[in-house]
Amino acid sequence: MTGDPDMLTAVAVSALLVIGSLFSVLAALGLLRFPDLYTRMHAASKAGTIGSGLLLLAAGIHAMDIAILLRALAGFAFFVLTAPLSAHLLAKAAHQAGYRLTNLSVTDQLPQPAPKSRPH
Amino acid sequence: MNAATILSSSISFALAALSLGLLLTVLRILRGPTLPDRVLGLDMLVAIAIGLIAVLAIKSGFNLYIDIAIALGLVGFLATVAFARFILARGLSPEKDAGAGLPVPGAQKLKRGKSARRNKKGAR
Amino acid sequence: MTFLAVNLLLMLTWAAVSGSFTVHNLLLGFAVGALSLWLVREQFAAARLRVRPLKLLLLVALFFKELSLSAIKVAILVVRPNMRLRPGIFAFPLSLTRDFEITLLANLITLTPGTLSVDVSDDRKTLYVHALDCHDPAAERRAISGGFERRIREAFPL
Repeated sequence: MTGDPDMLTAVAVSALLVIGSLFSVLAALGLLRFPDLYTRMHAASKAGTIGSGLLLLAAGIHAMDIAILLRALAGFAFFVLTAPLSAHLLAKAAHQAGYRLTNLSVTDQLPQPAPKSRPH
Repeated sequence: MNAATILSSSISFALAALSLGLLLTVLRILRGPTLPDRVLGLDMLVAIAIGLIAVLAIKSGFNLYIDIAIALGLVGFLATVAFARFILARGLSPEKDAGAGLPVPGAQKLKRGKSARRNKKGAR
Repeated sequence: MTFLAVNLLLMLTWAAVSGSFTVHNLLLGFAVGALSLWLVREQFAAARLRVRPLKLLLLVALFFKELSLSAIKVAILVVRPNMRLRPGIFAFPLSLTRDFEITLLANLITLTPGTLSVDVSDDRKTLYVHALDCHDPAAERRAISGGFERRIREAFPL
């Protein structure tokens, strides 16, 4: 039975599915459990990206088609490239808007911008 | 144990886990307490939906779903960027007390959108 | 020539994403790639850079290693019943100068264990990084400057 290519892909796809969905659900749990926006962002931008990336990779492998696999890989690369960008933008916007860090925080060396009067 | 049973059981596991993930994320979006938290929840929702679509692609055998997942990723990224710009432009005003990560009482939360709009009008 | 190389790369990406490697589709991909390069021609002309492919490969390998480690670390932290977090934002003095290097470093930092880049100062000399465990910022700074920053400098020599 072992060495059978069907079995091999099935096992690989199953492993990717289980690991990817675990990462996704843990990222969601982290979103719920972490104390403030900035710590939550860690969960969403790392575990979340890896989770959906692995699931996409599983779909690509399961298709047994090089074009589909390449497409899935392109999607994976796209998520890995955009996740830090959106996390960075959101963190920057939140900090500039004045959302503070949790009380647990030990240090904040990023200077808070002086509150500007908003244009009409 | 053959290939099909392994695959179908892991697909069931993945679907269950992702549904739980969606539920937890929706809980975070409902709870807030601040707008950036909700935006982050939305971002996470899109990420989990992409994973869900990938699993459905395996389950159903339609490889077209992968393209849909990629397109959803594009849209989700753009939505998060737009929301970040919006947060930057809007500032903090309507929910000053919520900055420290403390939960806001539900009644106040539901009125938030309206009162924000009223505040803006008042400022003008 | 870099322009042609990038265009060919875009063409191959197009063919891969659209899923067919026929001559017509390759030609179409080449045209679309040329069009999109033409749209960004000014930024592209400014960024004439030398790349060491082997060192770049090392950087990519380091990145994937750190990415998987980071996801596992966050996952473990999430399920721990008592999260002992000491988050904070620390300032990281940049020794990289070019914009794309700073962008690359910021992205890499975001996807590594426990750190997330929040902002760059206007003079591009300081990167502000949020860390889940910020009780020893000096050690974090050493790790970044000895790891990613050094690798980026090696991969893209001036």
